[in-house]
Amino acid sequence: MSASPQSTPGDLPFYEAARKIYPREIDGRFSSLRKAAVVALLGLFYGLPWLSLDSHQALLFDLPARKFHIFGLTLWPQDFLYLAILLILAALTLFFFTALAGRLWCGYACPQTVWTELFTWIEQWTEGTRGKRMKLDRGPWTLEKVFRKTLKQVLWIGLATYTGYTFVAYFVPIRQLSDQLWHLSLGPAATFWLFLYSLATYGNAGFLREQVCKYMCPYARFQSAMFDRSTLIIAYDQQRGEPRGARRRGVAARAQGLGDCVDCTLCVQVCPTGIDIRKGLQYECIACGACIDACDQVMDRLGSSRGLIRYTTEDTERGFAVRIVRPRTMVYAALLLGLSGYLAYSLTTRMPLIVDVIRDRNALYREVQGTQIENTYALKVINLDHGAHAYQLTASGIDGLRVAEPAEAFQTPAGSVSNVVVRLRAPADRATGVRRITIAVEAIDQRSIHVTENTRFIGPTS
Amino acid sequence: MPGVYIIPPARRFVRMDVGIVLWTSFLAACLASLLFFAAVDPLLLRDAGPAAFRHIDREEGYALGFVFFWVIGSSASALTLLLLRMPPPGAERPKSGTP
Repeated sequence: MSASPQSTPGDLPFYEAARKIYPREIDGRFSSLRKAAVVALLGLFYGLPWLSLDSHQALLFDLPARKFHIFGLTLWPQDFLYLAILLILAALTLFFFTALAGRLWCGYACPQTVWTELFTWIEQWTEGTRGKRMKLDRGPWTLEKVFRKTLKQVLWIGLATYTGYTFVAYFVPIRQLSDQLWHLSLGPAATFWLFLYSLATYGNAGFLREQVCKYMCPYARFQSAMFDRSTLIIAYDQQRGEPRGARRRGVAARAQGLGDCVDCTLCVQVCPTGIDIRKGLQYECIACGACIDACDQVMDRLGSSRGLIRYTTEDTERGFAVRIVRPRTMVYAALLLGLSGYLAYSLTTRMPLIVDVIRDRNALYREVQGTQIENTYALKVINLDHGAHAYQLTASGIDGLRVAEPAEAFQTPAGSVSNVVVRLRAPADRATGVRRITIAVEAIDQRSIHVTENTRFIGPTS
Repeated sequence: MPGVYIIPPARRFVRMDVGIVLWTSFLAACLASLLFFAAVDPLLLRDAGPAAFRHIDREEGYALGFVFFWVIGSSASALTLLLLRMPPPGAERPKSGTP
């Protein structure tokens, strides 16, 4: 038993050492689509903080003030429900499109993919094509190698720093941020986040790359739960391709006993995660379509039809029709529609005013002038609107109930809280025992903004 | 042989394990901070807490909360990893020094 197999693994490395992947540059339908996605998404990311609305930054998550500005909408901690719904909607959208079209997110929209693409462009520009990069890495440290590697690092670090700066600009107004950076007076929190996000961009897009997808990404692990037989996947047509191999020109492949795959391995060379799609669907495949582009080019050159590697579904391969309408997609679609409908409805009918009524705890009631009973309340009025408003109070529930204080309308600035002491008076003969009353708060400049709150009015027991 | 554990019980923590523990708890801490601080203002916690924390501002409050959630999360992750690595009942201890 001394040589039992379970006593040895401790001496072996537990994880396979990662080998560096040199993805080959590729043009084609799906690569163009990804390039378009990179330009659009990164354009949005880098551009949005510069957008202004009413002389304010249009998109700003102001954490120190606990306010989120989203294109004219200001969300307060009280509006947390909206934020939660937005996050759930984002997750549902991801699930819906995954069920429908597979790893669409991974291949075209994920920040990891998008920034890796950008960093790879820089790498290709400074170090050259796949072959040149491999040769450069193998070769000695010549002056040219030092120059190319330095240039790449300078560009990478510059881009990563600008990315970190843009990221912080979603939380600190970008003009203020630029000013502080220029005068080197950036606070510790902003500095920390700027460097952390720069470092994360540099590390993830420059070095870790496909390892983030393979080892770190939780979505990559559970996306298969959204898959079924009608989900779009990338597959190699084994029937058509095998047996693979080089062939003589001028003679039909079938006559030579060969399939359509010429075993050029271009599909492996272009793969950003370094897999061989001909081995079947693998969890490392991010469905970017680079292998399809590569194979289509080869098939075009050979005069064969495209699609030896293609987007397909398990159902198609088995000869069934693809069902877009199926329980899985319908459930996701229904949840999406329902939730976004609710969000739209509650946002349009959202009242930009919150009123809290608290009865004074010190005294139940007070007799005034012998004929009146007075109750005191603390009112918390939160103005969630963009402009200041003057509010007026009214009270009802007892005949003759009136507001003794505040006697006039009170102002509450935009996005502020007013604490108002309210004294209500009612005739002593009517205000006996505990009665339910209603306090209404209304903006006098905009009658549609009004809130009513129920509370109690206490008088002497008769 | 079915049912044989091939994970050696006494294996040292490797770099990758540390990475996984810190990464999963980082994600959890992000979510926890988001949910927690959406509902609770750090300044309220400060006023209710011990005097040593009296002069922190909101941003420092967020940072402290995040670190707190990260430490709790990574402790749980590390403990889970450790317990999963315990030898199963009746497992033979690998002898050290055997080839």
